[in-house]
Amino acid sequence: MDRPITFREELRIAGRIASIRLRGQMAYRASFLLQIFSNFLINTAEILALFAMFYRFDTMGGWTLSEVALLHGISMVAFSIGDMLTIGMDNVAPQIRSGEFDRVLTRPLSSWMNAATSEFNLRHLGQLVQGVIILGFALSRVDIAWSIDKALVLALAMISGIALFMALFTVEAIFSFWTVNGVEAINAFTYGGSDLVQFPLHIYGRTLRFLFLYVIPAGFITYYPALYLLDKPDPLGMPDWFVLLGTPITVLFCLVTAWGWNQGIRHYRSTGS
Amino acid sequence: MSMISVRDLRKTFPIKRHRSGMKGSIASLFRPEYEGEFAAVKGISFEVARGEIVGYIGPNGAGKSTTIKMLTGILVPTSGDATVAGLVPWEKRKQLAQKIGVVFGQRTQLWWDLALIESLELLKHLYRVPEARFQENLATATELLGLGDFLQTPVRQLSLGQRMRGDLAASLLHDPEILYLDEPTIGLDIVAKAAIRDFLQTLNRERQTTVLLTTHDLDDIEQLCARIMVIDHGEVMFDGELNALKSRWGGRRQLIVDFASDPDADIGSISNGALEVTQIDGPRVTIAFDRDAISAPDVLGRAGAFGEVRDMSLQEPEIEDVIRRMYEGSVPIRT
Ligand SMILES: Nc1ncnc2c1ncn2[C@@H]1O[C@H](COP(=O)(O)OP(=O)(O)OP(=O)(O)O)[C@@H](O)[C@H]1O
Ligand SMILES: [Mg+2]
Repeated sequence: MDRPITFREELRIAGRIASIRLRGQMAYRASFLLQIFSNFLINTAEILALFAMFYRFDTMGGWTLSEVALLHGISMVAFSIGDMLTIGMDNVAPQIRSGEFDRVLTRPLSSWMNAATSEFNLRHLGQLVQGVIILGFALSRVDIAWSIDKALVLALAMISGIALFMALFTVEAIFSFWTVNGVEAINAFTYGGSDLVQFPLHIYGRTLRFLFLYVIPAGFITYYPALYLLDKPDPLGMPDWFVLLGTPITVLFCLVTAWGWNQGIRHYRSTGS
Repeated sequence: MSMISVRDLRKTFPIKRHRSGMKGSIASLFRPEYEGEFAAVKGISFEVARGEIVGYIGPNGAGKSTTIKMLTGILVPTSGDATVAGLVPWEKRKQLAQKIGVVFGQRTQLWWDLALIESLELLKHLYRVPEARFQENLATATELLGLGDFLQTPVRQLSLGQRMRGDLAASLLHDPEILYLDEPTIGLDIVAKAAIRDFLQTLNRERQTTVLLTTHDLDDIEQLCARIMVIDHGEVMFDGELNALKSRWGGRRQLIVDFASDPDADIGSISNGALEVTQIDGPRVTIAFDRDAISAPDVLGRAGAFGEVRDMSLQEPEIEDVIRRMYEGSVPIRT
């Protein structure tokens, strides 16, 4: 076909490929289910830790268990979906090292799309299921005066959150275009960040708050939307419109990431054999 | 119109000082320290017309793969220009990918965990190949490459030769205008090599597919390529017809003369600047001669004066010899 590929076609192709690859995995049903189950168990430990904490203290920074669970739910759902959609990014570092990344660049898809979807599995389904349960638990327990605005804020937080985590997984891969080690450090930011913003941001010190609002804007997709949903005043005293910042900041973050990705691609040098 | 057009294309790789440890790697991320650079391709220029099969050959480390990587858009050149099918590869990579097929002999483009047919179907979606066209191409490839026996086999279980054939089929599903083959016959047996060569010939004849082929197998070259380019140390040493290469670097042909009985002992005396008696083995005499200086019948005529000729045969210089002489005559290999 001569016509340049459109973004929608790319999405459709990526989806189709994912489903073919998934079918392959389903063939090994037992191991498939086991993977999801073990992923579920691993994340259960996290949830138990949360309950244990609230067993000792009634509130955390003035927030109840259900309220903190709301942060957990948003973060977990966004993280697990973002992770699932960019699983292929995990392969980028080894592919760059081995030169296999060559292949990503000979496909008629954008290199990012191709790299992100070079692998697909539902290993992280366990975490997603858990995130949904926690979110459901939180939403059923907390007292929210629902309005269109609030539904919109929650939806935007979710979507921005997914995009943000997809970008963060991409950032990890971008670094591997320049350095073979040290990528784990970035990894720590992504995983650490997703854990950290599962708690009310005001319990942290100035540095961490700054880091997870203005460098990695994860705080904007859990904390401020939660404040708005719960009609809580911001103990940090930021203006009301901060709740609206999540999406534009995420867009900015994604643009910078896309720029970095393209720089990485131009910097790619393959291997001698 | 040129299918591939390359002008002053150059690629240098920075040689980075290796700093160890986490601190070192972060430091080098922001302030890389280069020890210098290595020029893998040093300003090459050439044109390839539609429908040509060009053999791109040269010793290890000559810069062949690096050139191909630039012409597919994998690597961005340090300087110079190139267009492939009218596109600048590293700027229009995505569009170009639709028009080219790439086979890297050492790597596969198939998915290890899928059956061959599933991999091919996946590529059908990836390249937006219409179903009918896909079936047609699959049928052709299956017939000419004998894929039928292992279409349902998981790629990881395929032998090298089977995988190679699968890879070749995979690179052609979308009817590329240009095919880059980087050592497609490496490690294959004679049967597999022959199948692949036949396939490429058919493809080239019937679809005018342009082929740029890298190989260390000189039979590939002799059987497929009318034109060859020899590259060494990142520079084009020769670009032309195989025969021209032979006459320029290949020098001598050999005439083997069988006499009815042992010829006169002083047959050696016919040696001069143009010909040389290299071996006398009873009634069989081998004479090497310079194709530009004397013709084969002349050589035979002179030998005939020394006895009754019963039979003779003419040997062209082996392409191996030609290439070896070329490589040896070029700039000494760096260590
Ligand atoms: N990614 C890279 N980084 C550094 N140097 C490289 C890289 N790729 C290639 N080189 C160097 O560039 C030179 C040319 O390599 P290239 O792979 O193009 O050779 P080649 O002609 O394909 O050789 P071969 O016949 O062995 O495949 C070699 O000296 C190689 O070491
Ligand atoms: Mg090579």
